[in-house]
Amino acid sequence: MLANAVIIVLREVLEASMIMSLFLAYSQRINLSRFWLLLAIMLGILCAWFYAINISTISSWFDGVGQEVINAGIQLLIFFILLAFIAQALVGANTSKQKQTLIMLMIVAIVLASIREGCEIILYITGFSSVPELLHPVLIGSAVGAGIGISVGVCIYYLLVNMSFKSGVRVGYVMILLIAAAMMSQVIQQLIQADWVISQYPLWDTSNLINERSITGQLLYALIGYEATPTPIQVTAYISAIVIIVCVSFFQLSRHSK
Amino acid sequence: MSTYLLRVSIVFSLSIIAFNVKAAPIFELIIQQHLFYPAELVIPADTKVKLVIKNQDDTAEEFESYELNREKVIPGQSSGVIFIGPLQTGIYPFFGEFFPKTAQGKIIVK
Repeated sequence: MLANAVIIVLREVLEASMIMSLFLAYSQRINLSRFWLLLAIMLGILCAWFYAINISTISSWFDGVGQEVINAGIQLLIFFILLAFIAQALVGANTSKQKQTLIMLMIVAIVLASIREGCEIILYITGFSSVPELLHPVLIGSAVGAGIGISVGVCIYYLLVNMSFKSGVRVGYVMILLIAAAMMSQVIQQLIQADWVISQYPLWDTSNLINERSITGQLLYALIGYEATPTPIQVTAYISAIVIIVCVSFFQLSRHSK
Repeated sequence: MSTYLLRVSIVFSLSIIAFNVKAAPIFELIIQQHLFYPAELVIPADTKVKLVIKNQDDTAEEFESYELNREKVIPGQSSGVIFIGPLQTGIYPFFGEFFPKTAQGKIIVK
C-alpha cells in the first residue's frame, strides 16, 4: 500500500511541480516577489477540495462524462494561459502592469493545474479514512511521493537559475512549449474518452520501446506528454499546439524588436 | 493580431469535436470489495463500446489502463462512463489504481 501511495501521489504532484519550478525560476530571473506562489498553492488546494467533494455531481454531467469534459476544459484553459504567458514574457516585464499580468497568469495556471491532480490525491487519501490500519502507510507513502515530486521541481528550478540567462530562457521556453502541447494532447484524449471526439486506431505503438508503465515512460509523460499509442487527432493537436505557440512567439518578438 | 491567433486556435480546437450519433453497445463493470466483476470482459472487435463502471464500494477507485489509454476516477457509491474502442482483437489489461493489488481485470476483444 505504501509503495502504491508513493507512485500515485508522485505522478500527480510531478506535473504541477514542474510548472511551478519553471514559473519560480522565471520570477527569480526577473526579480519578482515569490509570494504569489503561496497564494496559488492555497487557492489550488481549495479548488481541488471543492472539485473533490462535488466529484459525484460533476461525473454525472453530460450523461456520465462530466469529469472528462471539465478536465478537458481545464487543460484547454491551461494551454491558452501558457500561450498568453509566453506571449507576455517575450515582450518583457518592465512595467508594473506587465508584471501584474504575468503574476496573474502564473497564479491561474498553477491553480488550474492543481485542481485535477489535487482532487485525485484527496479522493485517494480520504478513501482510507474509514480503514485506519491502512491510513497510516498511505499517508506516509503520500508524503514520500509528494516529497520526491517536489524535489524534482526543486532540481529543475536550480538547474534553470544556475544556467546563463540565455540558455535558461531557452530551456524554460522549450519546457513550457512541450507542457502546453501535452495539455492539448490530453484535451483530445479526454474528449475521445467522453465520445465527444471521434475515436480512431492509434497512429503508432511504441509500448515495446518505452512502456508507459515504466519510470522512463512516466517521466516522459510528465515532461513531454509521452503516450505509447496516440491517435492521429491527438498527434495533430500536439503539433498544432507547438506551431501556434512558435508562431505567436515569432510575432511577439518581431513586434517587440521594431 | 495575437487575439486573432487565439481565436483561430479556439475555432480549430472546437472544429475537431465531432458528435457521434451511432449508439455504442453498453457493457457493465462492477467494483465491489476492490475487485472488478467481471474480471474478464469480452467485447466485439472494431466496435466502439460504452463502458459503465459502477463502484459499489465506499471508497473511490480509479479505472486505469495503459493499453486502452484510459483513466477515470469513479467516486464511491456512484458510476462512471468510459468509451473505448474501436479496438483490434487482443487482450487489454486494466486495473484500479487506488487498489491495484486486488482490482485487476482484462478486456478481451474478439
